[in-house]
Amino acid sequence: MHKPYLIKRLCHARSLRVIAAILCLLFCCALLHAQQTTNADSRAAINLSGTVTDAYNKPLGGVKILDKQETLLATTGSDGTFTVNVTKGENIYFRLLGYDQFTLKATTTFSGTVRLQQSFLPAAKMAVSEEQSNAPSSQLVEKDQDTSLVVLQEVLNGSAGYPGGKSGSDLQGLYGPIAAYRFLGAAATATQNELSYTPAPQFTYALPGRLAGLNVNQTEGFYIPSLTLPTSVDFFVGNIPTNKSGAGPSDNNQFDIQLRGHNSSLGQSPVVIIDGIQRDIYSLDPSQIASVTILKDALSTILLGQNSSRGALIVQTLEPTSGPPRLSFTAETGWQQSLKMPKPLSAASYAYLLNEALLNDGKNPAYTGADYEAYKNGSDPYGHPDVNWYDAILKNNPMITRYNLNVTGGGGKASYLVDLGYLNQDGMFKGSDAHTYSTLLNLKRYTVNSKIRFAVNKDFDLGLNLIGRIMDNNQPGAGTLNILNNLLSTPNNAYPIYNPNGSFGGTTNYTNNLMAQVLESGYLAEQERDILVNLDMRYKLDRWLPTWWVRLNGNVSVQSASFMDRSKQDPVFQMVVDDKGDTTYNRFGSTVNQNNGFNTTSWARYWYASASTGVDTTFGQNNLGLKLFYDQKQTLLNYDLPTVLTNYAFQGNYNYGKKYFVEGAVNYSGYNRYQKGHQYGLFYAGGLGWDIARENFIKDHASWIGQLKLRGTYGKTGNANVDQYGYYIWNEHFENVNVTYPIGSQYPGPQGVQQGGTLPNVNATWEKAYKLDIGLDMDLFNHHLQGSFDYYHEKYADIMQLRGKSIALIGLDYPAENIGKALYKGWEGSLTYQNGSGNFNYYLTGNASLQYTKVLFMDEQQQAFSWNRHTGLPVNQRFGLIADGFIQTEAEAESYPTITGYTLRVGDVKYKDLNSDGVIDQFDATPLGKTGPIFYYGLSGGLSYKGLELNFLIQGVQNRDIYVNNLIMDGGFQGQNGGYGQAYERIQNRWTPETANTAFYPALSAGGNGYNYNPLFLSSSLFVHNGDYIRLKNIGLAYTLPAVWTHRLKVGSVKVFVNALNLWTWAAFDQVDPEISLPNYPIQKVINTGINIKL
Amino acid sequence: MQHSYPYKYQSSYARMFSFICCALVLSIFYGSCAKDYETIPLGQQQTLELTFDSHDSAGTYALRYLSEVYNDALINGHNRVDKDYLDAASDDALSSSTSLSSVEKIASGAFTSTDLNADDNWTSSYATIRAATVFIVNIDRVPLIEKLPDGRPARPAYKAEARFLRAFTYFGLIKRYGGVPLLGDKIYNLTDNLQLPRNSFKECVDYIVSELQLAEDSLRSQTEINSGSYGRITKEAAMALKAKVLLYSASPLFNGGNIDPNNPLTGYTSYDKQRWQLAADAAKAVIDLHYYSLMPSFTDVFTKQNQPVGTGTENIFWRQVGNNQDVEKTNGPIGYTSAGGNGRTSPSQNLVDAFPMQNGLDITAAGSSYNAADPYEGRDPRLTATVFFNDQPWLNRHIELFAGGTDRPGGTVQQTKTGYYMRKFMGDFSTSNSTVYSNTLHDWVYIRYAGILLDYAEAQNEVSGPSQQVYQVLYDLRQRAGIEPGDDGHYGIAQGMDQDEMRTAIHKERRIEMAFEQQRYWDIRRWKTAESVYSHPVRGMDIQRTGNGQLYYNVQDVFTPHFKAPQMYLYPIPYNEVVKDPAMKQNPGWK
Repeated sequence: MHKPYLIKRLCHARSLRVIAAILCLLFCCALLHAQQTTNADSRAAINLSGTVTDAYNKPLGGVKILDKQETLLATTGSDGTFTVNVTKGENIYFRLLGYDQFTLKATTTFSGTVRLQQSFLPAAKMAVSEEQSNAPSSQLVEKDQDTSLVVLQEVLNGSAGYPGGKSGSDLQGLYGPIAAYRFLGAAATATQNELSYTPAPQFTYALPGRLAGLNVNQTEGFYIPSLTLPTSVDFFVGNIPTNKSGAGPSDNNQFDIQLRGHNSSLGQSPVVIIDGIQRDIYSLDPSQIASVTILKDALSTILLGQNSSRGALIVQTLEPTSGPPRLSFTAETGWQQSLKMPKPLSAASYAYLLNEALLNDGKNPAYTGADYEAYKNGSDPYGHPDVNWYDAILKNNPMITRYNLNVTGGGGKASYLVDLGYLNQDGMFKGSDAHTYSTLLNLKRYTVNSKIRFAVNKDFDLGLNLIGRIMDNNQPGAGTLNILNNLLSTPNNAYPIYNPNGSFGGTTNYTNNLMAQVLESGYLAEQERDILVNLDMRYKLDRWLPTWWVRLNGNVSVQSASFMDRSKQDPVFQMVVDDKGDTTYNRFGSTVNQNNGFNTTSWARYWYASASTGVDTTFGQNNLGLKLFYDQKQTLLNYDLPTVLTNYAFQGNYNYGKKYFVEGAVNYSGYNRYQKGHQYGLFYAGGLGWDIARENFIKDHASWIGQLKLRGTYGKTGNANVDQYGYYIWNEHFENVNVTYPIGSQYPGPQGVQQGGTLPNVNATWEKAYKLDIGLDMDLFNHHLQGSFDYYHEKYADIMQLRGKSIALIGLDYPAENIGKALYKGWEGSLTYQNGSGNFNYYLTGNASLQYTKVLFMDEQQQAFSWNRHTGLPVNQRFGLIADGFIQTEAEAESYPTITGYTLRVGDVKYKDLNSDGVIDQFDATPLGKTGPIFYYGLSGGLSYKGLELNFLIQGVQNRDIYVNNLIMDGGFQGQNGGYGQAYERIQNRWTPETANTAFYPALSAGGNGYNYNPLFLSSSLFVHNGDYIRLKNIGLAYTLPAVWTHRLKVGSVKVFVNALNLWTWAAFDQVDPEISLPNYPIQKVINTGINIKL
Repeated sequence: MQHSYPYKYQSSYARMFSFICCALVLSIFYGSCAKDYETIPLGQQQTLELTFDSHDSAGTYALRYLSEVYNDALINGHNRVDKDYLDAASDDALSSSTSLSSVEKIASGAFTSTDLNADDNWTSSYATIRAATVFIVNIDRVPLIEKLPDGRPARPAYKAEARFLRAFTYFGLIKRYGGVPLLGDKIYNLTDNLQLPRNSFKECVDYIVSELQLAEDSLRSQTEINSGSYGRITKEAAMALKAKVLLYSASPLFNGGNIDPNNPLTGYTSYDKQRWQLAADAAKAVIDLHYYSLMPSFTDVFTKQNQPVGTGTENIFWRQVGNNQDVEKTNGPIGYTSAGGNGRTSPSQNLVDAFPMQNGLDITAAGSSYNAADPYEGRDPRLTATVFFNDQPWLNRHIELFAGGTDRPGGTVQQTKTGYYMRKFMGDFSTSNSTVYSNTLHDWVYIRYAGILLDYAEAQNEVSGPSQQVYQVLYDLRQRAGIEPGDDGHYGIAQGMDQDEMRTAIHKERRIEMAFEQQRYWDIRRWKTAESVYSHPVRGMDIQRTGNGQLYYNVQDVFTPHFKAPQMYLYPIPYNEVVKDPAMKQNPGWK
């Protein structure tokens, strides 16, 4: 049946060249399933009956049973039962939106259970309009059960309290779902399946490559909590932590999350909204999350008011499902492995190369020939040690274990969900059995998410949601970051791990032993506690005012973090054998007895309330929705004054016959961190849409086009990021200084007073953005092919910057002022093809985005040469000197232009003297690396056959630069603790007379060199590398045991799976991981296995 | 609307419940409106008016503010430049750092107007100037009732202290950059145009001198200093600083040797001997006060005067630092593992050779009795007090500075590059039986009486040649240093020198007396001798010890400095300032 259908459609598609081209990619798949047609061999009618169930072995109603000719044979009732008579040998098809099609071949009389498998890509992702959907308005609930429950389900599907009516396919809007057919903005969604098979501690791990326009770069491979104390609540202003995002402390220190190329460090990363509440929570288990949606355009985020420029990341945790209790339990465990760990030089090579470096510098060599021999043959392990610290202190495969228990169900009036999660992730440091306590780097997390939905009466619905989270972070007392820094910088020959007498080795330069820091430094135990309570009430005012509704939402949440300092320090000893052969041990470093400190690192209270009311009405073909909205968000962090963000908004939408759409909103929004009178501003957005597929000429002539919606939005949005630039920067003030100049015998000095460090900026205001987004949504071939394309053009103005004429004579720092202008524009697209035949189902989805940025104005001062100018280039363009090979001869060294004060030698970098004045200086700085757009893409796909599932995600970036300027790895022998630091195998590619033509790095130098590295504090193109990479981010294989087996065990289903994270990477520059390199905690490859049982 | 009875029955409860919920939510709304926090954070509520409170007769905040101006203006010179002494950028020493140190970059001329040298203080100086001006402009609002010991009101004294500190900061600028913009008493704001031109060098000197003269009369006198006020700027400090400023302005770099002869920004456009006269007079005025005298022991100057109260002291102007072990631990020999010592500073052979013998004769002079095979025997006692050389007793043992010795072990540890460590400013642990350091006073002395004597001698020699007063300065200093007076009572000073010879003698005496006191680095610039000084390599001593303990001394070149004359006599104005301000002229040779 599929073959002629598809070919016919393909012919049509020729007129749409773009689609045809993409379809070619999918052709193989199409052929594959097209060939799987069945041959009827018998005409005898037989009876098939049974029950259709879901994976919990709970009955599924509304399942359509069709024959080969797409004739509806039956629909299952609320008990899931069916009875059909078919010709023997024919196939019948069970279909329900959101589930993979199940094919049953009528060979013999069948009576039993048919278990439908949920699609990997669920219905929510399918932008289907209402009539075309074959799903019931509430998939799992029978309509005839109870009237109030229908209301409830409408609430859950977002139709109550929201314009648009009932629909099975919704997108997550800012504070609730919006019917997909009338959504005019730009959004992308990842759903539960895509998230839950990511073996990682946070849902952010599952996002790279999934959502077009959202760039998620990993920066740290393990959650390392902040142990910075909020200094005492006194008047010492300098130490008041500014609540930079206005959202309180973030638990995200592992990812740099950028939307459409915006710099996350400038307070431009998307606002995170968890179940309708703004909270910067990222460390939730991926399997507890129903969907993650990114809203990118002005219209869909305008209710954020002064934060609306940032976009929104909508996280929806799992929702209750009415019906009999459904219980799901998952246990999984994985092996982690650090990627791209650097390779240190052996002690002998280190000694040899350091001598070479010192000789290059005209200094005396540090090692004698005897030293070198001793390192080489290892004859003196204490005097001449050679310790590979990576092998010594790291373990190979730390484990990550997760358990998740989810129970949901409900009766007539209420439904509930309880989700319990447990995570235990080990870090890579070795542990010791010598103590009763653990010094391991470890993260334990306990989460509970419970939701209750009441249908109080026909019109009134109430939801209560409680999320609780406890995180216990343990790390060695010396501190993870400190140990990683030492690991990177300690040479193999620095000291032996242990002395012959069992004490820790060390020297005057190394008063801490790395092994002692890992095993014997006690521990730091950090705890974080979160609780979010959310009350949601919706009332339909139908009995007084038809179609009017009211919604109230309140949230209180508390977060606190504290840590126990149980660290200690052991001294180190250097063994010295004197001329007479007597051994003595010199002690270095000090003994610090185990501390017992308790410190609160942060305490935050969040408070949110919103009230909205509106009307949704239909007259004829006209559908109108109006809404008034108020909300206020308050964040109170430590002893900062609270941040208060208030919005008063009005929204309206209208559509005619679901064909022509108009929508608009205004928001009067205020933020209390601006000066009075400068706090409120007006933001607005509007959108237009046209679903061409609804036009008769399409309906009649090209019915294979289900949706072809042109849409566009434009709006003025804001970003109140003033807290990034200081605490109450409009307020001129004097502040106290704890210790000032001592007069007389007042040692240490008494308190002093000084003028606040920056001049006040009384006119500070929010950054503004004028955002245009034009898009096209399409749904073709009966939902088999869906796509979405966007062009965006975002003009930012009033960007906080230092003025160009920030002249130091004024004697205080200039404040950031609303000066800059920048342009962000680009293209985004995603395309999904899914199909199936027999019991074979598959999908392939790809997304891509092309992002341009441009500085339009930055108050740049007169630049002497055109290549010095920043304006007009991408935002944050790297500038520096162009390295043009190495100095090869003494003659060249004498004549080549150099930096003032530096005498060139052979093997040094040659920098291009762009202005040909014979000197390398600031006028020779020019844009380095690429200035073009960055291209991000992701490709995922999967297939299922009977119980077997396979899926994958490939993610990549093109036209990206990576600036590796790790002096320890690229230069080696950095001055450190009064000696020289570690060096890595990479520097063996240095310039020497013998390797003059093949060298990557300049001739060695010890103790730092202001010329070859960081020249003039600028970048050098020597270290700019192609940053393109492709990762097999995720791949998974799962098998669901056949229903007949599991039913015998009285369980719904049993699924076993194995999956992997970061299994394979290709990078254009393969010396480091394209995202993370030491001393940041390395990125992890995880191979994970698990089992899921549903009851 | 049709409802079945049970439904209604249920809903009355439900309505009550919903009412409660609504009330709850509304009460939360109400909570947001309640007045419960300040509108301005506590730490930022202090305004200018409160700092200079017109009702506070004690002037509490105003005086705290003044203390902070002190803190900004007076920088501790110990290991100041990126952990090194500034003089480690002259020919007196090197940094022992294994990394590329900031002083090494300065000495090798590795700085530009964008890659500023580590001693650049343009921005921080103007911050201090603003802070001082705010005090000067606003202090008159404060009704201080405090009186000085002599009964005068204290307020003018405090105002004069700020004036002094501001003048001192300007002096720090003109040493480095030549003429700089003078802001007077104006406090600039965001809306003001700050594209100011530089004032000429002459205007700057005149301004600083007039400010110091203005301050002089109001400041408290050294005689009035008591244990509660020592550390405050005195009238005599203002006089001494004036002498120093005049000495600098009379010096060849600015007076006659202007690197850009017709450029009033970089110095005077002509030579005027009268400037030397002014400098000599100003120094003489301080000497003639007879408040100050040379302390009996050279080492005590830096470590013992922790309460320079009343007259008879040597220190005139210093930064209070207090007691600690920082100098010892940072610069002490590295072999003292229990005491701790990082040997940061490596004094040069050039400096060691500048010290005369104990008989006052140069080591190269005939009959000096200098023995190159035993070079530290019979030397000026100030050598022992200034550097560590091999075999000097210290903390219960003798220092080993021969190759492979405890304090010069070789390998990768930070250690001396020259065979010497710096000893000056340290407490005296030469006879100590302890193996650890104890706290020692480490105030940083900007101006001491010995320096004023040398300033006077130098200026007077330029005015009238080597007069008796000039000779007497050298005798006094050498007597205190412990040099033998000799039969003729001339402390080894040659008699009958002409002006040039005397100039050389004074320069030499100044170098050894004031080593590491942030003098040499500036002196070779203002004398305009830097180009010749930096043309010689910095040398060190390599000592080899044979198996039987015999020592062999070999002088080695350790470092080759570079000095690009004439541009490096002045620092570049930071490029950012020049590019933002068309009126701001860069110094010659810099971009």
